Amino acid sequence: MCKPDQYHSLYKHHFLSPELRDLLRNARSAVIQVSDRLRRFSLDPIMARLVLSLITLLILQSVWVTIAFESKHVEEFSEELLLKPLPDRKVLAHFHFENRAPPSNSHGRHHHLFPKAISQLVQKFRVKEMELSFTQGRWNHEHWGGFDPLSSMNAKPVGVELWAEFDVPQSQVDTSWKNLTHALSGLFCASINFLESSTSYAAPTWGFGVNSDKLRYGSLPREAVCTENLTPWLKLLPCRDRDGISALMNRPSVYRGFYHSQRLHLSTVESGEEGLGSGIMLEQTLTVVLQPDSISGEANIQPSWSLSSLFGRNIVGRCVLAKSSNVYLQLEGLPSHELKNVDPETEADKFWKNAEFELSLKPDRILREINSFLYMFDIDKSSDREPFDLGLTWKLPSKWSCQQAPLHSTRFLMGSGNERGAIAILLKATESQEKLSGEDLTNGRCTIKANIFQIFPWYVKVYYHTLQIFVDQQQKPGSEVLKKINVSPSTDKVSSGMMEMMLELPCEVKSAAISIEYDKGFLHIDEYPPDANQGFDIPSALISFPNHHASLDFKEELSKSPLLSKFKEKSLVRSYTEVLLVPLTTPDFSMPYNVITITCTVFALYFGSLLNVLRRRIGEEERYLKSQAGKRTGKLKQLLSRLKAKIRGRPIEEAPSSSTESQTEVQSSVFSSKLLFKIILVAGAAAAWQYFSTDK
Amino acid sequence: MKILLLVMLLFYSFASSSGDTTIHTNNWAVLVCTSRFWFNYRHMANTLSLYRTVKRLGIPDERIILMLADDMACNARNEYPAQVFNNENHKLNLYGDNVEVDYRGYEVTVENFLRVLTGRHENAVPRSKRLLSDEGSHILLYMTGHGGDEFLKFQDAEELQSHDLADAVKQMKEKRRFKELMIMVDTCQAATLFNQLQSPGVLAIGSSLKGENSYSHHLDSDIGVSVVDRFTYYTLAFFERLNIYDNASLNSLFRSYDPRLLMSTAYYRTDLYEPHLEEVPVTNFFGSVMETIHTDSAYKAFSSRISNSKINSEDDHKEDFQNANIPNDDVKTEKQKCPYTQMRADLHEKLKKLENTDTMVNLGIAVMILVVMVSSSLL
Amino acid sequence: MTKDGGEMAEEQKKKPCRFWIWALASVVFRLILISFPGNLNLSSRPEVSTPLTSIRRLAEGYWLKQASMSPYAGSMYHGSPLLLSVLGPLTVQRIKGHSFLLCSLVFVIADVLSAMLLRGIGQKLQMAYGLNARLLGVLKSSRDKGILPCGDIAALVYLWNPFTIVSCVGLSTSPIENLAVILSLYGAVTRRVPLAAFGLVMATQLSLYPATLTIPIIFILGYGLDAPPLKLFLQIRSVEKEDTSTSAVSKQAKLKPNTRLPFLWKTVVHFVFWVLLWSLYLLVLCGLSLSKYGGLEEMFTRTYGFILSIEDLSPNIGVFWYFFAEVFDFFRNFFLIVFHVNILFLLLPLAIRLKHRPCFLAFIYLAICSILKSYPSVGDAALYLSLWSLFVNELTDMKFSYFLFCGYLGISLLSPVMHNLWIWRGTGNANFYFGNAIGYACFQIVFVVESVSAMLNHDRSLRKSNSNHREVEN
Repeated sequence: MCKPDQYHSLYKHHFLSPELRDLLRNARSAVIQVSDRLRRFSLDPIMARLVLSLITLLILQSVWVTIAFESKHVEEFSEELLLKPLPDRKVLAHFHFENRAPPSNSHGRHHHLFPKAISQLVQKFRVKEMELSFTQGRWNHEHWGGFDPLSSMNAKPVGVELWAEFDVPQSQVDTSWKNLTHALSGLFCASINFLESSTSYAAPTWGFGVNSDKLRYGSLPREAVCTENLTPWLKLLPCRDRDGISALMNRPSVYRGFYHSQRLHLSTVESGEEGLGSGIMLEQTLTVVLQPDSISGEANIQPSWSLSSLFGRNIVGRCVLAKSSNVYLQLEGLPSHELKNVDPETEADKFWKNAEFELSLKPDRILREINSFLYMFDIDKSSDREPFDLGLTWKLPSKWSCQQAPLHSTRFLMGSGNERGAIAILLKATESQEKLSGEDLTNGRCTIKANIFQIFPWYVKVYYHTLQIFVDQQQKPGSEVLKKINVSPSTDKVSSGMMEMMLELPCEVKSAAISIEYDKGFLHIDEYPPDANQGFDIPSALISFPNHHASLDFKEELSKSPLLSKFKEKSLVRSYTEVLLVPLTTPDFSMPYNVITITCTVFALYFGSLLNVLRRRIGEEERYLKSQAGKRTGKLKQLLSRLKAKIRGRPIEEAPSSSTESQTEVQSSVFSSKLLFKIILVAGAAAAWQYFSTDK
Repeated sequence: MKILLLVMLLFYSFASSSGDTTIHTNNWAVLVCTSRFWFNYRHMANTLSLYRTVKRLGIPDERIILMLADDMACNARNEYPAQVFNNENHKLNLYGDNVEVDYRGYEVTVENFLRVLTGRHENAVPRSKRLLSDEGSHILLYMTGHGGDEFLKFQDAEELQSHDLADAVKQMKEKRRFKELMIMVDTCQAATLFNQLQSPGVLAIGSSLKGENSYSHHLDSDIGVSVVDRFTYYTLAFFERLNIYDNASLNSLFRSYDPRLLMSTAYYRTDLYEPHLEEVPVTNFFGSVMETIHTDSAYKAFSSRISNSKINSEDDHKEDFQNANIPNDDVKTEKQKCPYTQMRADLHEKLKKLENTDTMVNLGIAVMILVVMVSSSLL
Repeated sequence: MTKDGGEMAEEQKKKPCRFWIWALASVVFRLILISFPGNLNLSSRPEVSTPLTSIRRLAEGYWLKQASMSPYAGSMYHGSPLLLSVLGPLTVQRIKGHSFLLCSLVFVIADVLSAMLLRGIGQKLQMAYGLNARLLGVLKSSRDKGILPCGDIAALVYLWNPFTIVSCVGLSTSPIENLAVILSLYGAVTRRVPLAAFGLVMATQLSLYPATLTIPIIFILGYGLDAPPLKLFLQIRSVEKEDTSTSAVSKQAKLKPNTRLPFLWKTVVHFVFWVLLWSLYLLVLCGLSLSKYGGLEEMFTRTYGFILSIEDLSPNIGVFWYFFAEVFDFFRNFFLIVFHVNILFLLLPLAIRLKHRPCFLAFIYLAICSILKSYPSVGDAALYLSLWSLFVNELTDMKFSYFLFCGYLGISLLSPVMHNLWIWRGTGNANFYFGNAIGYACFQIVFVVESVSAMLNHDRSLRKSNSNHREVEN
């Protein structure tokens, strides 16, 4: 039930500043209470009105005072949208909402804009930094770029990925992680609590990029992502999806996209001064890749689009609670040769209305980057009458390509059958590699460093000694290429395995591959999911390049825009590989009882037959029978005695072969009668049982 | 005087102790779709349409526990992403912008279902996933999926037996988790699921008798599967005519089921339910209609509410503390070692000192072989 | 394999040098098989390598150890640390791209050694058999034709048994375990007490189950080698009492009881002392090799604990894996206890009934263990089959031997097929393979039961012939 923040629900469409409204609300309630009291005292109304007005004055005064006081550090919220046409006729829309809570004394934290749920989360579990992402679809590194901050921050693995760093003693990290997963699962309507079990998360040391021993990382590749995850995420915003940029998020159009990744990143910023706790910075981004339905007939012209055609909605007015709400349009690889020498002051129109393309609105500001232009729009002016509907129309065909990561990574399975196999990670050089600056020249030769971070579920039993590294198709011993490796093998049913390795490849490398063999585990019948035959997932590996950093550096000085400042700061280049699907053998789910009974029968057979062999004495039986046969007795008696000997298995010790005839006769007759009686009794019982069991 | 007070107190306590004098305070709904896979689209549509109905009739989201065994809305097969329809005229998108699924996918198991009913969760489970009803609440429990004689399949993997359901309900009754419970089941042979029920205050509706199937209503050629079951379809048809304020009785609901339309006979078990169905409005279960209690002062109720919330928050904190404390205890236990292990630890310390133990071990093995030969040759 | 043992025997009678030819041939055969690349994929067969004996897991453990991690980290390696430090270095260096070659050579050597030891045991038993037969007057002359050279037969059966070959080429460590077991028996038979103790301790340390051999070894040391029950000699003695003829037999028989009767406590105490000594020594070595890591507790939990609480549910030719993959969790412990106790239940009755034939008792124990052990492999079957052929003289009139032979053959042919159908093709079902395992267990059970009853019958027949012989005399 993903609770909404009751503060925010109150001032949806008001245009007052939040804290003032808040205080006024308190004042109002106080007045009402007082009036009730007065009524209780049953003063005369005039008197009461006087007192009331007085009190209201007092309260208003206090309100102003408090506002003056609080304006020192206030919570800030900003909403931004980045639009970017992609080379393969798609359009990327990147929503970015940032919400800062200033440091305040930890007790009595009082929020106006900042979602209370998140701050409670941070306080309860002492979260230092946390990132949660819901993703569907796979980021296309070739066409959508692999070397810009956007891709390195927002290209996420399929499903749910969660990592968190805690500020608790080492012994309590796992406990807080478990509680955090449960809390998040309640908050975001997803089964994140499956990350609670120690078989599903790991504690990366250096391979993940963040070096901390209080970090936990887990991902659920098969988690479905849908409306119920987006809604609570939107409820964290002050304006929900009613106002401002977030009003664009029409569910069907968002989820019809090729790729959508909804991300929530929060970090606590330590405040210098004493007594104050730490401030929280909440950053929510939604990255969508959409296919505009192209009107233009020719195939080679990029499709033209507008916000309304992409989302089926418009932006009407900004979210009044946002400090800044801007829309950016990033155009990469323009024919900048003629735009470069145009100066923005005189003929600005050239930039947004030229022979090649045309924007439907005039940008408020134009930022120039090395190989892209950034048009900035402020949506203040838009209103219900003429909504902010940015559109881009292409006139001439244009082609460009995105900047790519030094190595393009794919991962695949080798081998067949359900007993064993091998995982291979293949790093292929991209054409954009040589013009990269990231290589460092260690002892003369230039090298590319690549970190590989991989989690293995326990039922994939990896043989680390079979690790093989191929560089340009020939095998290399680990000592050459492998700089660092850290392995924590998986324990059956207890913990998942983790592998971190740092490869150092020469710059001129064409392809590098690592392969590692594994056996497939066999699970208990209860450990299989309901659709066991679909197979099991190996979460995607993370390939990061520790000495390549992506950033956009603008020529112009930036306005105070969180999105652009985020782009400006250097971010580690990382890319996630595919999720692998491993089919495991399944036992027969239908017949546990048969297995149990049959096995127990075999054991009974073993025990009974061996014991029988040990305790029977054939020799004496034979002797006894001989003695019987030797005597000239009636045929019937002989038969009976033989039968008896057969059935009873051993003769009585106190009846030696030298016993007189009379004794044996008596005994035999007695035994036979007893025997007959027994047989009849058993038969009757059986018949009765049969009768009673059948007639019902 | 005092005695009189005491007697009054006694009476008061007795009255409060006996369950049925409690007034109807709130409404809860537990809506379960137990079947997985795309071709069971209609079950999810059933559940979602019930969800929408009870929300429309006033049960807030935080009092609805919605369990969906699979994700149909964003399923790759669904050509209307983020939308679910229960009718081939795609008028009404059940999967609106504001649906809140509490248990979904692999979480929908018999265990979790029983845990929700009986309220036996582990500490960390958030409040949003719990059924926090009290002795004054009316609970609507709606289940749909594939069923059989006295069982209901969960995700084609496990079964909920009628005994389990009856035991859970009995436990709820003893824990004072509900005042009145209405169980509505839309499966094949749904009636058999109620055979074991014996707790008072339980009203049960099943879509079909033993030996009967409950069929789907119609097929949507765009989506490619049938989108709603007959029983649920006609239930909705009944509720669409209502709004939150008119008080149609349960009896009218029951009468609205026509066996010829359902192609199965709906079954009602009312022997555990005292009130006459003519008096009981459907909004007792499917909506949330509170009769307001007038008190002189706004503050008493207010303060009591405060105290309640306080209590809740307190025990939440307690839980957290418990969670936090577990590792501490471990540490303590580790602290106090028996001398034997202490000694062993020291030994290990010593052993760590000396270098390349492997060569030593190999030497030891060689020595062993030698000793074997010598001894066996001599003795 | 029983049959080819028989053929061996015939040829043995004709030419004694034939034995060495056949033994050499078997070694050459092994070397040829080893030279094939990839060990014919035998090393990953579930019949050959169990989680306890697989060489890949051993290599993994060694790799972890080299990476300064505990070899038991993760749940890969479950063997003994000593095996690790002996075989581990051999796993890393690969000769001309052919990995594990040295290991397989080691296994071949182990096989040859155990064959030789078996031969030694067999010769001892043969002598004992001849002596007793003559004492009982079953065989008149000292140079008798009736006795088969069971030593050579057993050795050749061990060398040529397909199970042995497969488990040697397939790089499972069971040849070494078998060697330890046979070593202990050899030591006991030749009354080399320290050797017997050493073998027993080693075998127990490698795989828990040979601990049951303590009883038969103590009997061997205490009562001496296999012999017909004592009653017979007493009967003979009584016979001698009444008639007056003094033949060599009667003298022997007069001596026999008072030489046979006493239980040699001294040797047994000696044995116990050596067992304690060796186990202490091994524990110290293991503790030393694991001192940097978990120490001995970890070793016991990861080896014996792994054997007793059956954690690995990967299929093998036993019956436990599937049972514990399917059984409900709350019954798991109960069934664990029941199944393990099942081994111990029959130890005592067998010991009481067969105490005059301790070697045979040892064979029976080993067979039972290989039926009921957690992770059985064909290596165990190879061991007890070759031990079985030590008793060809006594078990000549064993029933169902052909039936059993066909059963073993069929199972060992069907098992790969079922495994392939289930695991690789995905067309079969787990139940097929499990049914195969059940059949194997049943055949083994019949085998054990039949051989026990055959041995008991043989004693009876001795007694009968003895009584007939008495009638003839007077």
